[in-house]
Amino acid sequence: MKLKDFIQEHKEEFNQEKISEKIDVSFDKLLKDKLHQPKKQQVVYLRYISVAAGLALLLSVGYLLQNRNSTSFEQIELLANLDDDSAGKRLEGVYKFNDEYVKEDTRIINRLIEIIHKDENANVKIATIDALLNFPSNEKIRKNLIKALENESKPLVQIKLIKALSILRENRAQKPLEKIINNEQTYPIVKNNATLAMVEIKK
Amino acid sequence: MNTKNTIQKCKENNYSAQLEVYNAYKNMMFGCAIRILKSREEAEDVVQDCFIKGFEKIHQLKDDANLGAWLKRIVVNKSLDVVRNKTKDVWLDETYILETESEVIEDDIKPIISVDFVKECISKLKEKYRIILVLYMIEDYNHREIGVLLNIKESTVRNQYKRGKDQLLKMIRKEKKI
Repeated sequence: MKLKDFIQEHKEEFNQEKISEKIDVSFDKLLKDKLHQPKKQQVVYLRYISVAAGLALLLSVGYLLQNRNSTSFEQIELLANLDDDSAGKRLEGVYKFNDEYVKEDTRIINRLIEIIHKDENANVKIATIDALLNFPSNEKIRKNLIKALENESKPLVQIKLIKALSILRENRAQKPLEKIINNEQTYPIVKNNATLAMVEIKK
Repeated sequence: MNTKNTIQKCKENNYSAQLEVYNAYKNMMFGCAIRILKSREEAEDVVQDCFIKGFEKIHQLKDDANLGAWLKRIVVNKSLDVVRNKTKDVWLDETYILETESEVIEDDIKPIISVDFVKECISKLKEKYRIILVLYMIEDYNHREIGVLLNIKESTVRNQYKRGKDQLLKMIRKEKKI
C-alpha cells in the first residue's frame, strides 16, 4: 500500500487533534477585546457629542424659558389690544401699558413707536406719546419722537410731540421745530407751542 | 451552518456568527497548526490569531467562497511564518544539487501499521521534509501550491518531498522490520 494512500485512508485519525476548552474561553475574551470594543476615538467622539447635546439642551431650555417669560398672557393681551382695529381698544392697550409697565419691553415699545408713526387716530397717538415719555433715556424713543414730529400733520398730535420733546429737552428737535414755525400752513397754536419749545430747549 | 449567511454576518462583525465559525473550524485549524508547529501551545496561539485575522479580513472573501479552505490557508501561512522565524532558511532552493541518489525506495507499506506510529515517524523527520510531507499528504496541497506557500521552486518541493518520503519509509521499515 502506498504511503499516501495509507494516510488518506486514515485521514480521520490524522485529524483528531482537539483544541483545549480553556482556549475557547481565552478566544472569547480575545474576540471581544479585539473586535467588539468601542474604539477610544469613538468614545471621545461620543463624549464630545454628548457634551454638545447637553449644551444644546440647556440653551434650548433657556431659550424656551426666556420666550415664555417674554410672552406672558398679559403681554399677549396687551399686544393684541395695540393691534386691534378699534381705536378704543388700542387706547385701552396704551393706558394699560402706561399703568402697568415699569420695565421696558422691546416688543411693546416697538409697537408703540409704530403707533406714533402710523396710527390714524390722534387720541391713540397722544396717549402713546405719554406712554413713551415714561422712558426718557431711551434713545430709540427720542429719535422716533423727533422723526414723528417731522412727519406729523395733525395739530393736536403736533402739539403733544412738541411738548414731549420740550420736556425731554431734545436739542435735535430744533430743526423740525423751525420747519413747523416757518411753515405757512401750520396752525398758529402749533406755531406758538413750537416757539415756546424752542426757547425751552435752548435754555 | 449556512456558510453564505454566516460569512455575511461575520462581515457585519456579528459576534454570534464569529463564535459559530470558531466552533465549526477550531479543531481543523488546530490540527493544521500543530502538524506544522508540533508545539501545542504555539498552535493554540496561532489558531486564535488566525481567527481574529480572518474576521478582520473577511470582507475580502466572497459570500459563496469556501470559508474552511480560506481559514486553512490563513493558519497554514501563519504556522509557516512561525517556523521561518524560529529557524532561518529552512527551505532553500536546491536545484543546483545533482540528483546523485540512485537508490530507489519502494513506496509500499503494509496496512497493519498503526496511524500513531506513522505520526510518530513523521514527527521525527527533519523539519524541512516533515512540513512538505504534511502539506502534501495530509493537508492535500499539490507541489506547485507548496512551492508558493514556501516561496521555493516546485522542483525543489518535489525533490525534498521525495527525500522526506524515502526517509519516512526507511524509518517505518526499520522500526517495524517490514
